[in-house]
Amino acid sequence: MSVFDGIISGFGVALTPMNLLFAFLGALIGTAIGVLPGLGPAATIALLLPITYSIPSPVPAVIMMAGIYYGAMYGGSTTSILLNLPGEAASVVTCIDGYKMAQKGRAGAALGIAAIGSFIAGTVAVVGLTFFAPPIAEFALSFGPPEKFAIALMGLLMAVTLAGESISKGLIIMVLGLLFGTVGIDPISGKSRFDFGVIELQSGFDFVTIAVGVFGIGEIFYNLEQEGAAEIVTTKVGQVFPKMADWVQSRMAILRGTLVGFFIGIIPGGGAVISSLVSYALEKKISKHPQEFGQGAIEGVAGPESANNAASSSSFIPLLTLGIPGNASIAMIFACLLIKGVTPGPFLIVEHADVFWGVIASMYIGNIMLIILNLPLVGIWVQLLRVPYSILAPVVVLFTMIGSYSIANQAFDLYALIAFGILGYLLRKLKMEAGPLPLAFILGPMIEGTLRQSLLMSGGSFSIFFTRPISLTILSLFVLFVVAQAIFTIRRSSRYARAQQTT
Amino acid sequence: MKKMVFGSFWIALVTALMVSGAAFSQDKFPSKPINVIVPFSAGGSTDLLARSVEKIWPKYSPQPLVIINKPGGGGVVGTEFVVRSKPDGYTLYLGYGSGHDVVMPHLQKMPYDTYKDLAAVSRLSVHSVVIVTGAKSEFNSIKDMVAWAKKENKPITSSVSTKAGAVDIAITALGKAAGINIVTVPFAGGADAVTALAGGHVMIGGGHPSEVIPHIKAGRFKPLAVALPERDPALPNVPTLIEQGINVHTWGSIKGVAAPAETPKEVVAYLDATFKKVCEDAEFKTIMANLSQPIMYLNSADFAKFLQQAYADYGKLIKELNITIQ
Repeated sequence: MSVFDGIISGFGVALTPMNLLFAFLGALIGTAIGVLPGLGPAATIALLLPITYSIPSPVPAVIMMAGIYYGAMYGGSTTSILLNLPGEAASVVTCIDGYKMAQKGRAGAALGIAAIGSFIAGTVAVVGLTFFAPPIAEFALSFGPPEKFAIALMGLLMAVTLAGESISKGLIIMVLGLLFGTVGIDPISGKSRFDFGVIELQSGFDFVTIAVGVFGIGEIFYNLEQEGAAEIVTTKVGQVFPKMADWVQSRMAILRGTLVGFFIGIIPGGGAVISSLVSYALEKKISKHPQEFGQGAIEGVAGPESANNAASSSSFIPLLTLGIPGNASIAMIFACLLIKGVTPGPFLIVEHADVFWGVIASMYIGNIMLIILNLPLVGIWVQLLRVPYSILAPVVVLFTMIGSYSIANQAFDLYALIAFGILGYLLRKLKMEAGPLPLAFILGPMIEGTLRQSLLMSGGSFSIFFTRPISLTILSLFVLFVVAQAIFTIRRSSRYARAQQTT
Repeated sequence: MKKMVFGSFWIALVTALMVSGAAFSQDKFPSKPINVIVPFSAGGSTDLLARSVEKIWPKYSPQPLVIINKPGGGGVVGTEFVVRSKPDGYTLYLGYGSGHDVVMPHLQKMPYDTYKDLAAVSRLSVHSVVIVTGAKSEFNSIKDMVAWAKKENKPITSSVSTKAGAVDIAITALGKAAGINIVTVPFAGGADAVTALAGGHVMIGGGHPSEVIPHIKAGRFKPLAVALPERDPALPNVPTLIEQGINVHTWGSIKGVAAPAETPKEVVAYLDATFKKVCEDAEFKTIMANLSQPIMYLNSADFAKFLQQAYADYGKLIKELNITIQ
């Protein structure tokens, strides 16, 4: 069966009324949980799994779950932009310029461009998935611990550049994030670190707790003391949809974000986060007006949002072609398939062609449903900002509490959420950009783990990083960036010094 | 006549008993859904087992199971939650016999006594440890691997799911028994460890059948050995380590159900009987075969005895191998 026959038969499966209904349900639920802060796709899919037991065929169940997963990526940008609340790791970057845009009354433009970017990226990535899944899956496998180390190190460098003008402030926040990342059982030695005898700390902090606490709750605490100031933010709504100029300004960012997301998204574990970071750093580097980044640059929303959506589609590649689940949500879909008697992997396309092509076809349809669902919603979400802050803030706190509790079903996470909220408030007071913190929290353990795995593999020799072509390339780029940045900084400061001497 | 009166008396008595029995069964266990705590993340092998049981359970019980994942601390967080729950049979622990029950207590202090604070209900499955290598590897048996390591005098690298987990212990024990140096590289779970071997980043790897069989079928992995005392029914053609002259076996990863220690005997008996029915169900057998998880049911008493032995054997192995996590 050729790819064309396959995808046509797939549409035959996906367009049946039952499967259309489930694709719609997935898109709807996904959008909803994406919008609700703290509720993630993995927890939702786990919750809905028992419902799928009564459906005899695996196809509608998987179509729905896939819809929830990529639908959550659409919805995830909403709270990041409106409330500075990143729903999942890949939306942290969106907060930086998205929330600034909302404060300037351009929430509608930010939401609109995020939805359009997500649609384009999602669709392009599914086209890539349709035609190139097997060779790309092989490429993904070539990323072992040394390659993942190199790419995570690169991600960390980019996370620091998010900090805005002050590199030293960025480094301080980064170190804080790295420290939080070390709490819990060290996977290499099996020893528990910094748990102070608290069992809940043995599993470490959860990303959602940190991101929602530092960003969302911290923002609310900060606004509480700004009598009146918060009102201004919440009543300025502005134009609902992006203007033609916004679109022209961000279309290349969307395209680049899509490519970055598609290729980095296939790397199991952390692909979506790193791709959104790489996209943001890329846009900032090649922009003609980099000073606008961090102040509400629309490319800073369009690029990363496209990247994380492309990544969510391409993360299906290792699952469908190799039987390897790359993240928690995909692992739930993997579980659902197995219980239904379908083993994802190289034989899926042969043994269960209806599942393979049906799910892929449904992703084209799901993306169309999501854009139809989300664009009109932009108008409604923007109205949310008209809700008086005294009502909005407690509701947001309530939802984040429910969301954080749902992660591991334990009350400890609620206290952690409040503690991180206080930290976020302090950072806000000290005028420090919190962006690098949750990102360093994710990347730190990845860097540490892959470094130690690589050294175990090589018997302690660092040559392993320089004898493998992919890691050598990425590490060379890393060194190049650091050196370039250093030269740039030195030149600027010496020019500044000269300028001061002449005056 | 007398006989008839007597007869009607019996009928009345039986009817009365039946009615009161029916009324009584309102409060009879179970009268509400039963929470099943899985102390690992959703999507892992224990979670898959729990969700398969969840699917079949309503056929044999008026109340459903509700699966709650409470991951953390290598399983300790969720297990402790069950230990501290009301012992009424409505909070169960699925995964009893995992690494934090049979291995961890030998290595570190636990916040509860795994064997005194929990009552064994049923054993459902045992996941063996399968030692595999990449399809392109020159090793076709454990003997090849040992010969290579001795001839080249180089260490063998192996991916394992977690430090001091069932797979790590089995492979470390193999290296020690064969007199070769095997470096185990721990990953964040079975899927990660399998991915590293699939990419050819390590020489060998180990995993539970559910994790490696799809790759064996796909021709990506070659199985080398099973580290159980006997062959795994999911892989009948793969010899054990003992068959290949390496006198090492482990108990794999045991997956059973436990309830808080004070749970009433009749409630445990009801649960055990229902789990037995689930294990004998044809649909359950199909699902488990597809998951490559063998059904190895044991009743409460036998399971408790089995666990004691597995716990003691792991203790011996850990002492011999001098495994510590400090």
